Amino acid sequence: MPSVCGRNSSPFDRSDNVDDVNRSDGDSTSQKRRLGGDPVAMEVRQISTQIKWKSPRRCVNSSPKTSAIGTEKDSMEGIVNLQKSQKTILTNDLTAKPNWNPIDTEQVSAVKEALHVSTAPSTVVCREDEQRRVLEFCKVCIEEEKAGSLYVCGCPGTGKSLSMEKVKQQVVDWAKEAGFHPPYVLSLNCTSLTNTSEIFSKIIGENQPKKKLNGSTSPLQQLQKLCSQQQQSSCSKMMLIIADELDYLITKDRAVIHDLFLLTTLPFSRFVLIGVANAIDLADRFLPRLQSLNCKPMVVTFRAYSKDQILRILQERLTVLPYIVFQPLALELCARKVAAASGDMRKALSVCRSALEMLEAEFRESTGNMNSISQEKGSLDKQTATGPEILEVQGNNVVRVDHMAVALSKTFKSPIVETIQSLPKHQQIILCSAVKFFRGGKKDTTVGELNKSYIDICKSVLIPPVGTLEFLGMCRVLNDQGLFKLGQSREEKFKRVTLKVDESDITFALQGIRFFRACLQ
Amino acid sequence: MGKEKNQAGKALNLLRSRLCDPNFIFKPLSDSPETNYSKLKFIISSSIKEACNNSILLLGPRGSGKVSVLELVLGDLLQEHLDQISVIRLNGLLHSDDNCAFKEIARQLCVEHQLLFSKMASFDDNSQFMIAMLQECGLAHKTIIFVLDEFDLFAQGKQRLLYSLLDAMQSVTSQAVVIGVSCRLDADQLLEKRVRSRFSHRKLLFLPPSKEDLERLLEHVLSLPLDSTFSHGYALDFNEKFKSILRDKRFEEVIDTYLNSSSTVSQLLRFLFCAVSFMDVESEFLSLENFKTALLTIQRQPKLECVKDCSILELYLLVCMKRLEVKEQNSYNFNSVMKEYKSVHDTFQTCDYYSRNVCLRAFEHLLQRELICFSDNRGTGQSLEFRPVKLLISPVELYQGLKSYRSCPAILLKLMDR
Repeated sequence: MPSVCGRNSSPFDRSDNVDDVNRSDGDSTSQKRRLGGDPVAMEVRQISTQIKWKSPRRCVNSSPKTSAIGTEKDSMEGIVNLQKSQKTILTNDLTAKPNWNPIDTEQVSAVKEALHVSTAPSTVVCREDEQRRVLEFCKVCIEEEKAGSLYVCGCPGTGKSLSMEKVKQQVVDWAKEAGFHPPYVLSLNCTSLTNTSEIFSKIIGENQPKKKLNGSTSPLQQLQKLCSQQQQSSCSKMMLIIADELDYLITKDRAVIHDLFLLTTLPFSRFVLIGVANAIDLADRFLPRLQSLNCKPMVVTFRAYSKDQILRILQERLTVLPYIVFQPLALELCARKVAAASGDMRKALSVCRSALEMLEAEFRESTGNMNSISQEKGSLDKQTATGPEILEVQGNNVVRVDHMAVALSKTFKSPIVETIQSLPKHQQIILCSAVKFFRGGKKDTTVGELNKSYIDICKSVLIPPVGTLEFLGMCRVLNDQGLFKLGQSREEKFKRVTLKVDESDITFALQGIRFFRACLQ
Repeated sequence: MGKEKNQAGKALNLLRSRLCDPNFIFKPLSDSPETNYSKLKFIISSSIKEACNNSILLLGPRGSGKVSVLELVLGDLLQEHLDQISVIRLNGLLHSDDNCAFKEIARQLCVEHQLLFSKMASFDDNSQFMIAMLQECGLAHKTIIFVLDEFDLFAQGKQRLLYSLLDAMQSVTSQAVVIGVSCRLDADQLLEKRVRSRFSHRKLLFLPPSKEDLERLLEHVLSLPLDSTFSHGYALDFNEKFKSILRDKRFEEVIDTYLNSSSTVSQLLRFLFCAVSFMDVESEFLSLENFKTALLTIQRQPKLECVKDCSILELYLLVCMKRLEVKEQNSYNFNSVMKEYKSVHDTFQTCDYYSRNVCLRAFEHLLQRELICFSDNRGTGQSLEFRPVKLLISPVELYQGLKSYRSCPAILLKLMDR
């Protein structure tokens, strides 16, 4: 199973197992398979480590497998780059990291891996406070052998599930160290339950895996019986239950979620319950009975990330790479924008990856151009001509602010403005007439009225309006796209129409055309 | 002569088959890197190569080629890496219910990997099977591509399917790509916030083709190939003639008029099919007239054609009814129309003055042709003359119908203008 750290090792380490790779050339399932001749590229690097500081021309001629790699320019770039990075590692100066080569697929995929949402970082930064609180709570419960409940809430993408994973591990480790019995841990996602009361059978199954479920009593009753009796054995374990997406358990009568939390209030209960959800006031709204029993769960709120936190997390993720990929200003722009919008970490990671892809695309185009240029020149000139070009390329191959800006605009802009601008003329006129109609304060109207308004506008500009059938068809198309909302009616003309797009969006989109500008004033 | 007729017939067949084949239409998109085809291909192939998870949404009006381009990309990728991809297709119209969707996923996975599928499997079994398969395929470096058609319909209800799919993609062990296809522009606003947070916000917008793209498309589709299928001279002549049509200003007008009402690719192809079918096999070449006839055929106005078939008296009655409406008389019946008719005759001294019975007969004809109808829903309580009626044709259409009438009396046009 490929591991994350394997990919981020320095090229020096990789040269050790290049011999293995040489032998198992065809069978590359030991690493995650990469298309594009990977083992061969590494072999070239191995050879180049031994041949130091030869001229690029001789380097290429002396390595036996240049033709298999692709263009000679690529291999040379790899060699020159490797020499640069070797130099850096030899001098042990990590502050001046080398630039990276965006064309090298190995490096690009390493960066993408570091920025992927599924990669769990080894240390979770910016959530130490919240993790400490949860850990303290669990420690207290285990020490005093008392049951308790905790509610973790926060917007999506704020690191709740990630922190709970870490806390789980930390609790078990601490219990072992401190000499307590490590608790059973049950972590489940409530969306995977078909029936909300299944959660109790899952808890029982975890608690006493050997005991068969008694047919006459429900799992809930069994649990309640268990918790109300004095335990015989004195060394029975506590059980830590982490329930993700707790709001899936909320039913109309809220029975299940009440019973779940009430389990922890029974006198001999040994459950430590941690519920995770998005709603901040779930405990207040849905668990009023607990308040009367004076055992409301403790609430730990995971606030949305601020700009500095996002920046720190991104930098932390990128420190595992041995080269600079992003300009610092670009990262700051991303952090600022995402923090202003939602504070969702997943979005920030996605935007960074998107900016990276843009850089990649830019490079593919420019190398395509350079390849065609160099192919025009003679092959003898090739080596000398591309030398200075390579160094120029390596000068500015980080992700710059403009890449990040384009990625941000693509993520945060809605496609509505572009679509309105590319609608056929008559549909734009229909949208216009709808805007004018609704300016008077009305919220909806019928198709027939809209048709009249549309015909008026067409008359004023001397465009022949389309017939009623086509008008209805166009309204339906606009409804499909989510710009209108058509109601139901037996007769077509009496269907009610509401505008679902903001008026300012339409005005903005159509401002380029003089006619619409005049019309919408 | 016979041979050339053959050629023209063959050319017609070739053009028609091209217009019905989406692969042919969207193939030239693969050349340029800016098109949606290349972008989509790049995203999916880089996800496969780097073995990471990805999700993307294809948006655009109906008929703009989203599914065609997607199928083209998937076809290419399946050729390149056959054993590294498996494709699971779901449709929002069929599988928006979570139970149904998981069952279908399990069934397709079983078919793909030659496992036995049990219809008795429960919802739990199916979802665990899917997660297990995702892990297995992740280990075997196989990417599973989920294609969700009508994506906005999956966003109804509790969105459990979307959540489990996107959540499974958050783990390192699985390799999956989720592609959503929808015609609603705000499809991602319909998602719950936790599902939206897990969805990477890549969107590809399918816009109608620009002017240059349109020209390229027309040339690509309607030029005959210069290989041995057709005689060289004929093919050259055909292409020359077609290029001259393309440059004609009137052709531009025809295309613009058509595109003003519907500009998606599928509508355009329908128009071209119509035009090509009008090609005269005798003359062996496409002409501008074909396109004009096609435009008229597609943009029919049924009410106008009805008006053209009316008699002059019936036109008089229609114009009188329109005048009554203009005078803000919201409900009128045959008697009021007759009064108006008489007043018009008195004012303008027209020569067409018919008796009441004849007018009643004309009135019945109009009712049958559905140019007017009764505005109350009672049965046949009252006689025809007293029931309120209303016009079913708008004044604009009536005016156009009068203008294109073969021998419309000038008085009627004058009356319409008031």
